[in-house]
Amino acid sequence: MKKSLALLLALCLALSLAACGGGGGGTAGNAETTPDEEPNVAASPGALAACLASEPDSIDPALNSSVDGATLIIHLFSGLAKWDQTADGTLTISPDAAEALPEGVPNDDGTVTYTYTLRDGLKWSDGEPVTAADFVYSWNRAASVELGADYGYMFEVVKGYKEISEADDDGNPVNPDAKLSVEAVDERTLTVTLSNAVAYWNELLAFPAYMPVREDVVADESWATKPETLICNGPYTITSWTHDSLITMEKNPNYIDADSVTMEKLEFYLSDDENNMLSNFQNGSWQLIDDVPTNEIPKLKEEYPEQFVVTGQIGTYYVCWNINEDILPASSELTGVEAENAKAEIRNAITLLFDRNYIVNDITQAGQVPASSFVAMGMTEPDGTEFYKNAGHNDAFAGYYDVSEDAIESNYAAAVETLKKYYTFDDATQTFTDFPTLTYLYNTNEGHKQIAEYLQSALAGIGITVNLENQEWKTFLNTRKTGDYSIARNGWLADYNDPICFLDMWTTASGNNDVQFGKGDHASVAAYSMDLTPYGYDINVQDGTWAQTYDVLISTIKACTDNDTRYQLMHVAEDLLMSTGCIAPLYFYTDLYMLSDSVEGFYSNPLGFKYFMHCVVTAYG
Amino acid sequence: MNSKTLLYIVKRIGLAILTVWVVITITFFVMRAVPGGPFMGEKAISPAAQAALEAKYGLDRPLSEQYFTYLKDILTRFDFGPSLKQRGRSVTEIIADGMKTSVKLGVVAAFSALAAGVVLGAVAALRRNSVLDRAVMVITTAFVSMPSFIMGSLLLVLFAVRLRVLPANGTTGAGLILPIITLALYPMAYITRLTRSSMLDVLGQDYIRTARAKGVSGMKIIFGHALKNALIPVITYFGPMLAYIVTGSLVVERIFSVPGIGRAFVQSITNRDYPMVMGTTIVLACLIVVMNLVSDILYKVVDPRINLE
Repeated sequence: MKKSLALLLALCLALSLAACGGGGGGTAGNAETTPDEEPNVAASPGALAACLASEPDSIDPALNSSVDGATLIIHLFSGLAKWDQTADGTLTISPDAAEALPEGVPNDDGTVTYTYTLRDGLKWSDGEPVTAADFVYSWNRAASVELGADYGYMFEVVKGYKEISEADDDGNPVNPDAKLSVEAVDERTLTVTLSNAVAYWNELLAFPAYMPVREDVVADESWATKPETLICNGPYTITSWTHDSLITMEKNPNYIDADSVTMEKLEFYLSDDENNMLSNFQNGSWQLIDDVPTNEIPKLKEEYPEQFVVTGQIGTYYVCWNINEDILPASSELTGVEAENAKAEIRNAITLLFDRNYIVNDITQAGQVPASSFVAMGMTEPDGTEFYKNAGHNDAFAGYYDVSEDAIESNYAAAVETLKKYYTFDDATQTFTDFPTLTYLYNTNEGHKQIAEYLQSALAGIGITVNLENQEWKTFLNTRKTGDYSIARNGWLADYNDPICFLDMWTTASGNNDVQFGKGDHASVAAYSMDLTPYGYDINVQDGTWAQTYDVLISTIKACTDNDTRYQLMHVAEDLLMSTGCIAPLYFYTDLYMLSDSVEGFYSNPLGFKYFMHCVVTAYG
Repeated sequence: MNSKTLLYIVKRIGLAILTVWVVITITFFVMRAVPGGPFMGEKAISPAAQAALEAKYGLDRPLSEQYFTYLKDILTRFDFGPSLKQRGRSVTEIIADGMKTSVKLGVVAAFSALAAGVVLGAVAALRRNSVLDRAVMVITTAFVSMPSFIMGSLLLVLFAVRLRVLPANGTTGAGLILPIITLALYPMAYITRLTRSSMLDVLGQDYIRTARAKGVSGMKIIFGHALKNALIPVITYFGPMLAYIVTGSLVVERIFSVPGIGRAFVQSITNRDYPMVMGTTIVLACLIVVMNLVSDILYKVVDPRINLE
């Protein structure tokens, strides 16, 4: 027994020594396999290393819904169109798999038909030809109920979407044989019919959901998780994939424009820890990181003036009110429409109390732009001007109220005057004494918390008590969606450059209608008016409900084929939306990243997709 | 090993299975009671798509039916199901990927900590009150009281950013060195202190004095008698510690971006990826239960005086 004890102990020690050596052994092994990799921290020569986020849920073009996933997909797949950068640095949509992007031909029933010719010699990465039928299959798949893709609605504009997307309560398609109105005339000719003319159609063609996949490839459900089964048709193929860690892409020789691809190899590290990203950027391992720790921003701006990049991203950070929340004082006798109008006036007054310049300069610090309208900066009108600058119909400032630093005092005074109409104001303390206590809901995150604390202190200044409540992400989403809150943090990023993606989310039936417009008590509130006769429509509603006004307006916009009228109607919709005071925009998002000055030829689009295929890395380490 | 010990082991295994079953049941129902579902996101999907997905993954069936189907699947086919979030990957696949890294990290860290800790502790005890002893005690006190996120960040800044000798990212083999050191320091310090105090205790025992009096050589006393008995508490600590390092390295995995099981576990909860939450919980629970069992059995093997009953 004693001997066995001694043996056991010896074994233990031996194991520990072996283990100790194991760490070193691993390193030695690594050095052996890559003898050129010296020093350890530098990226492999010839490759560009970037870190966008942790592993996306899917890089199947139809299933992806994240911006970082989209960046991976545009390097692997090639749709009919793509985002391109011209010599002078402007972004354009140019043909990719298609020979050209022709205008649509209007049909008698108001629909529009587009005909595309695929370029000669398009191939999948395994050498098979890319055909028009591949597009037909992919689009029908992406829009189908069975797939249940987050971005299925991106095909809403294509004729036949309504039929294909309907399902019964058990999730079975109502019309199992329905198809989108897209056809392969021959191997290289594709026709697609849209329900009506869509200004942003070409942009949709460059969106990942519209990129082709091959039927026999996707039959294997795990096809998009392994390099060997991921057959694609874009500039790169995946050559190795360590899940949750690293995706390596190499140039696809079968890509039709392979000659224009300058970067032989791309390494996408998968991490969402900003501190780790920054360490890897600072030691020269990675050339691009898509996020930085918020508290480091002032220092980084100073230390890396050229490499700290802030660009526009189409999105709005805002505060939303639950429209059914009672905010009138207990003594108020207002009911129905009068109460609703009073609440709208109060909410609109409160939004004037927020100093958006303080939020962007002292809290978020990444070049965000103070917002006073909901449709984000970056959305353009048919004449090329910015949509948000025309919002609110004020000549002196953009948006629905003046959010410049000079206007803070006058905004404050105006807000107090309005609130005095409804609440008791104590002149001695300069505060309101009977404003009901509010609760501000946000998801657990340091940045959101700081903004919440600022809003709390801004309102405390005039006697409004706001309790802060933070919830874990999915719990938060659920609470907000079901309307179980009074005020909540919210944000929206555009999917394409058209204001409708900010406006159609507020229809009664929309799944994103967090404000609860037209739901609960609000369903019967007839407080809204709109007159569309100046735009050539026989629609004039006075004192209608949300469903009778806003919902009708959105469907009118969606069916409108005249682009100028359409944009005017979208301004009407935003006016109606903002008049409720339920949306208090705080700032327009920016996309912030760090890019090594050794990288040339990089660009990103307003949706935040990043393009590395035409890059050159001039120095490493 | 006598029949009594065997009976004890069988009993313990039965208890372990019961424990894991209780963990499965509680986790299953608690996870479903938490608000929010796997298909909920910032941008809402259509009710039709939601219904289709729920039907596809069987989430539309009654909860009890889902529970029994799940139990049947893991018992009969050892199938943890597909991940609801990472479409196209199975839970088994994701756990295997994560465990590969976590086990490598944990085992190397644990055995390094054991080796260094026992040696340092023994030396400190033998050279009691010397400068060496005091230095070891000061350093180990520091390591024991310093949380791993501070230690990790310090090592990261020093070796990966300032000196640039090691990678900051845990993707490569070399990238695992810093996380291993970070993980090993706390248990190493703890084992050192444990070994030292237990060694001091043993050195004062009558049987050591007797051995000395009988003229047994110093080396033989240390390795043959003192260390052997001094290691008993270390062995009991080691099993659970190994399990703890493998399962609880979440902070270190984050700091160094190591694709381990800890990160996958936490993400699965945030994502409400039910099969993934269940899978990781079961694997981690099994690991902890098994390590505890092994250390109890080892305890008996090392010290025959201990009565397992």
